[in-house]
Amino acid sequence: MKRIPAPLLAAGLVLVAGCGGPIGSDELRRGVETLDALAAEGELIADGAARDRTKTTFTRVHARTLGDEADHEAEKLADASAPPELAGAKRDAVRLAQDVGAALGDLQVMPDDVAGARAAHSRLRHLSAEAGRLAGRL
Amino acid sequence: MRTILAVALGIIAAIGGFVDIGDLVFNVGAGATFGYSLLWAVPVGVLGIIVFAEMSGRVAAVAGKANFDLVHERFSRPVALMTLVASLVLSFFTLAAELGGVGILLDLFFDVSPQLFALVGVLIVTVAAGVLSFEAIERVFGYGGLALLVYVVAAVDLDPDWSRIGHGFVPDAPSSTLYCYYAVGLIAAALMPYEIYFYSSGAVEEHWQRRDLTVNRLNAIIGFGLGGLLSVGLMIVAAQVFLPAGVDPETLGSVALAAQVPFGETGLLVAMLGIFFALGGAAIDTCFSGAYNLAQMFDWRWGKEEGIRRARNWHVTVLALFLGGYGVVATGIDPVALTEYAVVLSVIALPLTYWPILHAAGDRELMGEAVNGPIARTLGWLYFGLICVLTVAAPVLLVATDAGGG
Repeated sequence: MKRIPAPLLAAGLVLVAGCGGPIGSDELRRGVETLDALAAEGELIADGAARDRTKTTFTRVHARTLGDEADHEAEKLADASAPPELAGAKRDAVRLAQDVGAALGDLQVMPDDVAGARAAHSRLRHLSAEAGRLAGRL
Repeated sequence: MRTILAVALGIIAAIGGFVDIGDLVFNVGAGATFGYSLLWAVPVGVLGIIVFAEMSGRVAAVAGKANFDLVHERFSRPVALMTLVASLVLSFFTLAAELGGVGILLDLFFDVSPQLFALVGVLIVTVAAGVLSFEAIERVFGYGGLALLVYVVAAVDLDPDWSRIGHGFVPDAPSSTLYCYYAVGLIAAALMPYEIYFYSSGAVEEHWQRRDLTVNRLNAIIGFGLGGLLSVGLMIVAAQVFLPAGVDPETLGSVALAAQVPFGETGLLVAMLGIFFALGGAAIDTCFSGAYNLAQMFDWRWGKEEGIRRARNWHVTVLALFLGGYGVVATGIDPVALTEYAVVLSVIALPLTYWPILHAAGDRELMGEAVNGPIARTLGWLYFGLICVLTVAAPVLLVATDAGGG
């Protein structure tokens, strides 16, 4: 049997890996932990904005960066196929990622809205706690 | 007066070189992940860079030879060429990471586009490198980078548990491969090869003589020691701010955010200013290092003092490296990820960088009375042994931890 050249094999593996393969509980937990960390950092940003202790452009750009990461995580989780026992947790994780992205999006859109920042702060705190609970279940 | 001014050479190498994007990423990441338990890795790295910087400055002052002159002389041509390629690749990608970092930082301030601001950053550092004298570059970026002291002040202001900090300076049994990865990253970030290439070539540019040996020693100890203090400050602040909150800092914005938490907008702005100058200075260091190495390998005239006409190849290389670095940034690659790879993989080039210094500084025929004494010789060989261990461990840990991703 003819052997497949190593670079071709590696390229094939990369392609397959990028097409949303099955996800295990470890990988899912790592994804949820990433969301927890993003929500926690968002909380710090929102706290600065709520107490008017920051610069508007910093809040906007940094919230956008973290929000993009949350959206990317949502896509990654949504693309992955989960075994039946993890399907519920995966669904929760995707929703969580979307919620974290949305809360960070609010900060990005209105970085100088003190009341909005307070709301985002409390929402992100809640989402971080939710992520912690979900990660604990995995 | 001359002594005080000359110490600035050490300060820019420390701030612009020691504290670069690699130190920011690894120190803040280590503090946020492991609290104070990796503090010990900072003095290990700092002492290493002090030992080798002092040796390379001494060789430059006594023999008038920069580090790559030694590589050229003391290695066979194939090994010297391999060292050149490795150092150029690493300097180039580190330069790209620094420029990308400058772009991100300016974007955090003005909010237009990181790529656009990376271009603005390239223009700023290129103009600074072209227009300013070597001394002025040292002063502008070295002293601007001192704004990073805000992290040291924040570390004290956050009222940490000093006894736990003290314990952090005592090495612990490795708790995980990620712990080992960060330990290697912290030590490697302190020992980045370009720092030594820049330091020794800078000493030659400034025409150091035997009478400058005390200045060299002060530069190495104060300059790099200050860099280490900043690293400690960064790690303590990250341990105080990010670890309890569960933040995993993966961007330069996170590094700046750490100063905002204790000091509000003022802390944020001072930190951003310090990061800008540190990255800008490091971009010039890395760029000049690449050009120095190429010129010293092929016996071109080199250096700012020579002027464009006499050192045309060197100046063209500087410009090409800046433009090439921007080309990498323009692809949209994440500078922080690029930094992690550049820092950890730089370990592979460390023995090739440091062996010629150790060899030359211990050569009585070349150095005369300024040859390595028992302390320098012992520390030099101990660190060379450590470097060899790191060379083997770094790529393994990079793969095992998925570049720090766990």
